[in-house]
Amino acid sequence: MRVHRRPMRGPWKRALASVGLVGLLLGSAACGGGSEDGNGDAEAGAVSEAVEAGDPVEGGSITVGLEAETNSWMPHEGTFNQPGLNVAYAIYDPLMQRSADGEVRPYLAESLEPNEDLTEWTLTLRPDVTFHDGTPLNAEALKTIFDTYLKGTGSRLAAQLAQVTSLDVVDDLTVVYKLAETNAAFPDLLVGASGWPFSPTAAAAAGPDAGANPVGTGPFTFVSWQRDSRLVVEKNANYWQEGKPYLDEIVFRPIPDEDTRLASLQSGDIDVMQSLRQSTVIRARDLEGVNNFEHLGSNSGGLTLNTSRAPFDDIRVRQALVHAVDQEALIEVLGGSGVTPPQTQFWSPDSAWYSEKVAESYPAYDLEKAQELYDDYVNDPERSDGKPVGTPLSFMFQCPPDPSLNELSQLYQALWQALGAQVELQATEQAAWIQDMLARDYDTGCTRVGADRDPYLVFDDAFTDGPLNMTAFQSPEIDEQLEILRTTTEVDARKAAVEEIGLILNENVPNAFSGGTLTVLATKEAIRNLDGWTFPDDTEGNGANASTAMWGHVWRVE
Amino acid sequence: MYVLRRLPSLIATLLAVSILTFLMTSLLPGDPALQILGAENATPEAIAAVRAELSLDDPLPVRYLHWIGDALTGDFGRSYRTNEPVSQAIVERLPVTAEIGLLAIVIALAIAIPVGMLSAYRAGTRTDKVISSTSFGLLAVPNFMVAILLILIFAVWLGVLPATGWVNFTDNPVQNLRSALLPALSLAIAEMAVYTRLLRTDMIATLQQDFVTMARVKGVSNRRILFRHALRPSSFSLLTVAGVQVGAIIGGSVVIETLFAVPGVGRLLLEAVLVRDLLMVQGVALVIAVSYVVVNFTVDILYSYLDPRISHGRSAARV
Repeated sequence: MRVHRRPMRGPWKRALASVGLVGLLLGSAACGGGSEDGNGDAEAGAVSEAVEAGDPVEGGSITVGLEAETNSWMPHEGTFNQPGLNVAYAIYDPLMQRSADGEVRPYLAESLEPNEDLTEWTLTLRPDVTFHDGTPLNAEALKTIFDTYLKGTGSRLAAQLAQVTSLDVVDDLTVVYKLAETNAAFPDLLVGASGWPFSPTAAAAAGPDAGANPVGTGPFTFVSWQRDSRLVVEKNANYWQEGKPYLDEIVFRPIPDEDTRLASLQSGDIDVMQSLRQSTVIRARDLEGVNNFEHLGSNSGGLTLNTSRAPFDDIRVRQALVHAVDQEALIEVLGGSGVTPPQTQFWSPDSAWYSEKVAESYPAYDLEKAQELYDDYVNDPERSDGKPVGTPLSFMFQCPPDPSLNELSQLYQALWQALGAQVELQATEQAAWIQDMLARDYDTGCTRVGADRDPYLVFDDAFTDGPLNMTAFQSPEIDEQLEILRTTTEVDARKAAVEEIGLILNENVPNAFSGGTLTVLATKEAIRNLDGWTFPDDTEGNGANASTAMWGHVWRVE
Repeated sequence: MYVLRRLPSLIATLLAVSILTFLMTSLLPGDPALQILGAENATPEAIAAVRAELSLDDPLPVRYLHWIGDALTGDFGRSYRTNEPVSQAIVERLPVTAEIGLLAIVIALAIAIPVGMLSAYRAGTRTDKVISSTSFGLLAVPNFMVAILLILIFAVWLGVLPATGWVNFTDNPVQNLRSALLPALSLAIAEMAVYTRLLRTDMIATLQQDFVTMARVKGVSNRRILFRHALRPSSFSLLTVAGVQVGAIIGGSVVIETLFAVPGVGRLLLEAVLVRDLLMVQGVALVIAVSYVVVNFTVDILYSYLDPRISHGRSAARV
């Protein structure tokens, strides 16, 4: 977690920051990447003094500007990215949450205990917790939610819950999740939408409109929602965590445009602004009277190589292409120079799973080596694409149409053409591009790599038989490490397995990276404790992780 | 009657519009079933099941007939993505876009009419030249640029209007107007320039006609000549273009509503297109297209009011 607090500045400085908006619009800042613009402390990984939260203050209302709207608030219907998670953690409580040191611990649940072989997980609820509509949160409620909704037809959670064969009621406050096989990463599922209890009575009453009328156990109760405009929640007076929440009301407003969201924070229309855009993070650091709660998420920009297709089935080609890429230049094109460190693995340096050893093993920018590997393949009579010796590689690079991604594509093209390859660029609309990747009907292209989830879930999706293995890369060595991740809860053993997988991946490079994603919640100084949330037993939480806050712990001074 | 005579062509246009809307959205690349399921759940069986449920594998003409049949009864189906009835989404959002669009036209006309008349009356003078070059300048500036500048000036620097957001009229009429003002102004600026140029040209022609000279000879005041005698015969092009420009305003609303975070149909359409929410896209596009056709049909009717000769089947002298 990084907290940036800007020193006080004159009004002219603020005006200049605003003019930056126009500059960006005209394309100048966008092209220049907004790098060394006199912004002295904007180096990657900069940490400035923490903001003193002080003592909690009761009352007040805040408005939060989010980067997007969410389609539905029912956990099994919604697509919960960072904006959606922010709202969800106001209305719902997760059964489990992640602590500052990356451990998954009970939050709404009182405990979660596995059996010997990690196939049965017994979850105990806290007594006397009720949903906002008065329905008690008990074992029966969890079972109804699980059977009727989470496992129901059309549930978006179907794939991740496929491993749970049943949820059985033990007594009024105890249930058992029975898994088809051992899974040490199971608790991580209950951090996300599968672990957000919602009132089964309210859901049944609302029918198809339940997604617009969420009823949870969270610190705030839902008041109203006008799609694409505002969602209002108010203090839950009967909240199970004594003394919380502090705020009386939160208004969440989706403001999709980065420039106008930032302008809204400047003009005071909103008190908090969420962003994943590097150029916005840079500009937010320059605002007067704004604290920036930054976090390097583990979801980074990257490259996907289709290893089921020649020539990318040959390790020399993949290594050559990655050695030929200057990641710093990619980051500059994406506007992240000065704030976004190069990414070397699936985990950001802010993640508990990050490994220094893996970082060192990432293929360095080395044109000579790249050329050597490239020539070796091209001049190999046995080359996998069956073309005559000496024929240059020719392939297509796909990326969604977006100004900065277009520039990124052109940079890749230039770097690889320098090796002698013929690279055709194609801007493929997001929806169609995802479809191509799922069908493995592509050569190479840009994509997002990694997620802030348990490594077993991330790597199992990415490098086994499932539909999400878009690079088609598999290896017995990875399977071996996955087996360790699946069968042990022992943290050091798991970290070692994650490190091992990282090393294998950096050797084989089915993916490469184009810079991490620095996320921010930029807030007015009056907003406090955005990153200071704790578990009910006072264990420190994982802060404003990837631009999401636990709103029940936030207060405002003034 | 004139209206009745025009009706068949209106119906034919609407039919063509509905077919085109349906075809274009159905032919977009990207499988809606994949979007509904989410990548991690998209096994081939699950995709097949969803496609069957939504009848996506039926031949296009069959799907069109089903869709248009339901649409005629006001049932556009439910959004794949949000589970919200499409008709309800449109009913909630159309007023927002309509309010901003109307306000934009009103602002544009309120400024363009006097300015255009002044420019024509003073044709060739320095006043006329300043107005003309300003108009051209404004025409050249894209609306998203105007929007950002307006936000900087009125919200960030002066702090008199909100930068983004929307307040419903029923919740607070004053705040509603405040939230509509900057989006409307962003759309109005280019329109204003077009209207000014058009009115100037037409009015210069009108001012050279005999009846104006006659009025001058009779000693009628300039103001009365301009407003009572010259404005009405000079407003045909203005009216035509105002009708046609409704299309530009609707198109602009996609950008403007996103910039100002306003919940109108433009933003609804954009988000639906991005995630292949076909029923939503088709419903919204149809309603937009129909509104456009109806507006221009109304403009046609207005001609006959401005110039009664039209409804009698004779072409107007100006044509």
